[in-house]
Amino acid sequence: MADIILSEAEKIFIVHGIQDNFREDGRSCDDYRQMELETGLISNTSGSARLRLANTEILVGIKVELEEPKPEKPDTGRLEFFVDCSANATPEFEGRGGEDLATEIMNFLSHSYSSETVLDLKSLCLVPSKLCWVFYVDVLLLECGGNLFDAASIAVKAALFNTKIPNVSISQESEDTELNVSDDPYDVKRIDVSRTPCIITLSKIGHCHVVDASQKEEACCLARLMMAVTAEGNVTAMVKEGSGSLDPSSVSDMMQSGKKIGQELNYKLLEKLKEEEQKGLKRQTVGFLR
Amino acid sequence: MLTSKIFVKKTKRGGVMKVVREHYLRDDITCGSKLCCICEHTTSKQPLEESPFSRSSLCPRAHYLLPDTNVVLHQIDVIEDPVVTNVIILQTVLDEVRHRSIPAYKRLKDMLANPDKHFYTFCNEFNKNTYIEREPGESVNNRNDRAIRQAANWYSQHIKSVNIVLITDDNENRSKATKMGLEAYTVHEYIKSLKDAGSLLDRLANPLSRITIQGGKVLFPEHLPLSEIQRGIRSGKYLQGTFFASRENYLEANISVENRDSMVFIQGMINLNRSVDGDIVAIEMLPEEKWSCPSSLVLVDREEQQTEEDDIDDSEREVKNLVPKELRQPTGRVIGIIKRNWRQYCGVLQPSLLKESTRHLFVPAEKKIAKIRIETRQAEGLSNKRIIVAIDSWPRTSRYPLGHFVRELGMDLQKRIDLRHLDICSVDPPGCTDIDDALHCRRLENGNFEVGVHIADVSHFIRPNTALDKEAASRGTTVYLCDQRIDMVPELLSSNLCSLRSNVERFAFSVIWEMSENAKILNTKYMKSIIFSRASLTYAEAQMMIDDTSRQDTVTVSLRHLNRLAKILKKQRIQNGALCLASTEVRFYVDSETHDPIDVQVKELRETNSMVEEFMLLANISVAEKIKSEFPNSSCLRRHPAPPPSNFEPLIKAAASKNLKLDASSGKALSDSLDKAIFPENPFFNTMLRIMTTRCMMQAVYFCSGMLPEEEYQHYGLATPIYTHFTSPIRRYSDIIVHRLLAVCIGADASYPELLDKHRTQVLCNNLNYRHKMAQYAGRASVNLHTQLFFKTRVQDENGYVLFVKKNALQVLIPKYGLEGTLFLNTPDKGVGSIFKYNEEENTQSAGEVVFRVFDPLTVQLSIDRSNVQHLKLSVRLVHPYIPGFSVPPAREGQTTEGTEPPSKKKKV
Amino acid sequence: MAGLELLSDQGFRIDGRRPHELRKIECRLGVFRQADGSAYIEQGNTKVLAAVYGPHEVRGRRGKALHDKVVINCQYSMATFSTGERKRRPRGDRKSQEMTMHLQQTFNAAILTTLYPRSQIDIFVEDLFETTSIVDFNHFEESFGGAEVIVATLPRSDQIIFLEMNGRLHEDHLTAVMDRAIAGCKDVYHIVDRVVREHVSERSAAIGSEINNG
Repeated sequence: MADIILSEAEKIFIVHGIQDNFREDGRSCDDYRQMELETGLISNTSGSARLRLANTEILVGIKVELEEPKPEKPDTGRLEFFVDCSANATPEFEGRGGEDLATEIMNFLSHSYSSETVLDLKSLCLVPSKLCWVFYVDVLLLECGGNLFDAASIAVKAALFNTKIPNVSISQESEDTELNVSDDPYDVKRIDVSRTPCIITLSKIGHCHVVDASQKEEACCLARLMMAVTAEGNVTAMVKEGSGSLDPSSVSDMMQSGKKIGQELNYKLLEKLKEEEQKGLKRQTVGFLR
Repeated sequence: MLTSKIFVKKTKRGGVMKVVREHYLRDDITCGSKLCCICEHTTSKQPLEESPFSRSSLCPRAHYLLPDTNVVLHQIDVIEDPVVTNVIILQTVLDEVRHRSIPAYKRLKDMLANPDKHFYTFCNEFNKNTYIEREPGESVNNRNDRAIRQAANWYSQHIKSVNIVLITDDNENRSKATKMGLEAYTVHEYIKSLKDAGSLLDRLANPLSRITIQGGKVLFPEHLPLSEIQRGIRSGKYLQGTFFASRENYLEANISVENRDSMVFIQGMINLNRSVDGDIVAIEMLPEEKWSCPSSLVLVDREEQQTEEDDIDDSEREVKNLVPKELRQPTGRVIGIIKRNWRQYCGVLQPSLLKESTRHLFVPAEKKIAKIRIETRQAEGLSNKRIIVAIDSWPRTSRYPLGHFVRELGMDLQKRIDLRHLDICSVDPPGCTDIDDALHCRRLENGNFEVGVHIADVSHFIRPNTALDKEAASRGTTVYLCDQRIDMVPELLSSNLCSLRSNVERFAFSVIWEMSENAKILNTKYMKSIIFSRASLTYAEAQMMIDDTSRQDTVTVSLRHLNRLAKILKKQRIQNGALCLASTEVRFYVDSETHDPIDVQVKELRETNSMVEEFMLLANISVAEKIKSEFPNSSCLRRHPAPPPSNFEPLIKAAASKNLKLDASSGKALSDSLDKAIFPENPFFNTMLRIMTTRCMMQAVYFCSGMLPEEEYQHYGLATPIYTHFTSPIRRYSDIIVHRLLAVCIGADASYPELLDKHRTQVLCNNLNYRHKMAQYAGRASVNLHTQLFFKTRVQDENGYVLFVKKNALQVLIPKYGLEGTLFLNTPDKGVGSIFKYNEEENTQSAGEVVFRVFDPLTVQLSIDRSNVQHLKLSVRLVHPYIPGFSVPPAREGQTTEGTEPPSKKKKV
Repeated sequence: MAGLELLSDQGFRIDGRRPHELRKIECRLGVFRQADGSAYIEQGNTKVLAAVYGPHEVRGRRGKALHDKVVINCQYSMATFSTGERKRRPRGDRKSQEMTMHLQQTFNAAILTTLYPRSQIDIFVEDLFETTSIVDFNHFEESFGGAEVIVATLPRSDQIIFLEMNGRLHEDHLTAVMDRAIAGCKDVYHIVDRVVREHVSERSAAIGSEINNG
């Protein structure tokens, strides 16, 4: 992982600050850093979002494609996650250097979205066992400034919100199905993201835990708890990560604050997304030009 | 200049792929009017006139026309009329026309390029003031209509002194335009309002509303909508197929259904349901008890045109369902049209009883096409003329399809050089109808000679990628058999339109040299031309004309010059090392009734054969150089590789047995030593040597110039560094390609991508080589067959020569028939072992005193061996020298094979 | 026959440009903070991010280091969603490898490599939106019967440092096409040059004020 190396003194400075609920950049333990979010900036995707969380930059593009449902779930569509760590973020990612991290993020995203309550995947199935929508969710990590998992999940949710599925009518007679794709670019369907989760990473630093750890803070952290939390406070996936250990009581503490912060994050995110949507078709996208 | 605003067009394609295209809007797109002083016009781009003359009573003020897509598509014949000028063609319209009809698009482009028409293309989709984006819920068509109105509106604001008249037949579009304050009419309203429109109304395509008889009786069942057809086809309820009208009976047709072996039969007007030959239709099978079969009646639609009630009385003509079960064929009826395959048809007007009538029936030249009802006021002028008519529609209430008059037919001379004044003639074998080439020669004022080789302009008729072209490319060559020929191109072209027959005008592709007295080429010109051949001669006739010193007509003089020049050319060629090879060609004289060969002769070679050949070679070489210089990578050339020295070994060995030394180290050396190898006592010896030399050669092949290094281009036999085939486009496809290449070189024709693609050309060459070889095999097989037929009833003794000595046989050449036979030396049926001894070293076979060497003369008896009924073969038996126990007695005069039945009458060959 | 018309009779390309017009270019420098240099450039719909690291010491195998010049290490990758049809992987396919090679070749020629012996410069390019052609450095496409000529030039000296031609082009047209392409390179240069100057003056002003405030 894209770690940075800190001296012992620096680490102590950070740990002590956190014990006093005062982090190196002035935040309290439950504060997120400044986020910058924009959706719909890659026009040849079905949905896209760019998230900048301090120095972490994530770009998500979603392409929807028509495919056959998996035999074990013949009546649902599905999500396929793919994460690529660009060498732009750090030369270490060059070639296959970023693959481990990418797989880790990818797996946890898939976990978080594996619960059936998260998305109405059944609505994505057009003809059972024959035809369903598959969402290819491609996450591109462009810059590492810490808290990659949270950032990725927020960008994914935003991109899902932005995703427009072309309206397809199926005329079915006897064996064959016929597909009529609406030629009207405005004739699209959206997917309900109100129950999709955001990942909240709680990093144990000293005796306290913080959210949205910066790269420096991550260097001081020995163990962290990552949980996928929905707007209702449901946890759809959870994993403990890192070489250190956690005692059961602090796990429970961390879960409590994770749920609380997660609910709030989900709420605010959706609010912002809707606000952006209000601006309508004529909204100019800025993208990386800013 | 560049408004750098990006608009994104999204298209869904093949399901769900999102396509995003950049679209730039500009502020530098001009209106194209001479009146305008707002736009920054670049000169020459203002075709719209300052004061367009108005003939219209509807809109007497000066105006520009702005037609919508459907008007352009359907009324292109009217728009083409010189009366229609000052028209704005929107980019939206141009694009839509291009997508919907390539022929209409091409015609529209021609009009746009014609300065007299004053047509202007306004790129409204790129203009920032006229571009509009599709709105939610808006269909593409509605969006385009809106774009047209938007552009019309912009023009009206932009140019005040001239009206903008929107022409559209779409009611909604028209009413919306009127609401915006635009002037809009239907085509009919506008054309009708024109003063002296005259014949223009004739050419208006028939909209359904105009001709249908009011309250007309519905004659045909409805066509099902396409969506229903598609569903039906998927479910197997309906079948999709191509409609083939019967040639004999206009009430019958067959449908070729994919994946079905037999055709589906359709009978009766109602069941045919307005299908036209070539349409893709949907059919429904009839229940088996209603199946029918072709009536074997020849029925021509004689319906008089004046029967206004347009009734279909199928009952009268249709064979009632009395067809016996065993004759019944799968029968169906047409329930809908999937794709019309209408085109323009050529034909004549049916003579009308009423002189003043404007409604006429048009009778297409093709019998399979139904008569077409058209309206014209110029019927009188058009009678006895071939005209072109297009079908517009076929409503349920009309017995005939409705169409409109397009134009009269005539010859079009384009940019051809007129060479009709030249005394051109052709020289070919007797009976030749596909005349590829013709020649002329005349003395110029400066004392030099002008020599012309004129080749049939086949590429004018066979356009790239047409069905004709594809078929010709696949056939590759015409196949010549003893008494018939399998054409590469249809007979109408090969024996008539392309063939450079005498006393008719023909299109040609000419190569014209200026030559000095001693046949030195001073300059070469290539041109598409029109010629008028004075005579189609045979080699013998031409020879007689040359030899008859009393004749001094221009054609004869021309031939004499050609003959003299040809001799010089030939001499030069041979000096360069070209080989004169021999292969005897025979000609069968076939009984016209029984098709049995009655006589065989070796084809005679005259000076005139060589004369024509020389100029063809010269033309081929000149053209090869020309196309190679312009298209070094994609020329279609012909090469003849030098054979490896080992190929010559049998030849050298055979010559050595006669104490002759042949030098095969180069073409020149070989040619020289062959010339010296003459034995006065055996005049046929030299010919035999040359026949044997031919067998040492490699195959000459076509190839694409970009695929080989230049040193491999050489043609060994002709001793030229480059060669191609240009002179026989009627019978060889390679020549058509060469014609196209040459035409592009001289700017006479356009190129097309495949022509310049070296891989495609090489693939084509490979096929041509294969076809060429197969055609040769077929030709030889045909000669063999005829030889056998000839000897079927004969037993004949003939003189021959030993061509090869083999281990168990002698290969014998019989000069009289140009025939080669195998004389087997062991006759196993006699139960005796071979009495011959084979000496491998000296290459001899001996039996007692008698020794056979190569080139030795002998007499053999020819007959047909019938021991194997499947494989009748020519049996060769020795007569002289006499070898006891082996030779057979000489044949008696008129001897026939034992037990021969009289020649069967209907022998198919 | 109904194939695409590359250039209409009115002299416009399908997207409304004239033959010599480049697509709209927009550019921003300093997109990433971690990289030593970074840029984002849009040409029409094509969107590309580039990051440069170095010169720094040679990473990985020491043997790679060159005693007389800097190692230029390039990687081109395409976002999996960048193409019309989704790509399965961002790198390693023929096209990205070819592009990597092109970058390598171009920058080996463009950078004064002898200034930094025994070190390495990383150039990473991330293609976010792939349209007809990639434009992250000077590239101009001339559609002449489908032939494509790619040229990269050094703007000051007009020296060609990269040249590739695909498809068939008549030799007679080559000079004209090359001139067009070089002119295109120049146009791109002027645009990028302006952005660089603006960026530098902005940064220096910012640094100046920081110094004043500090």
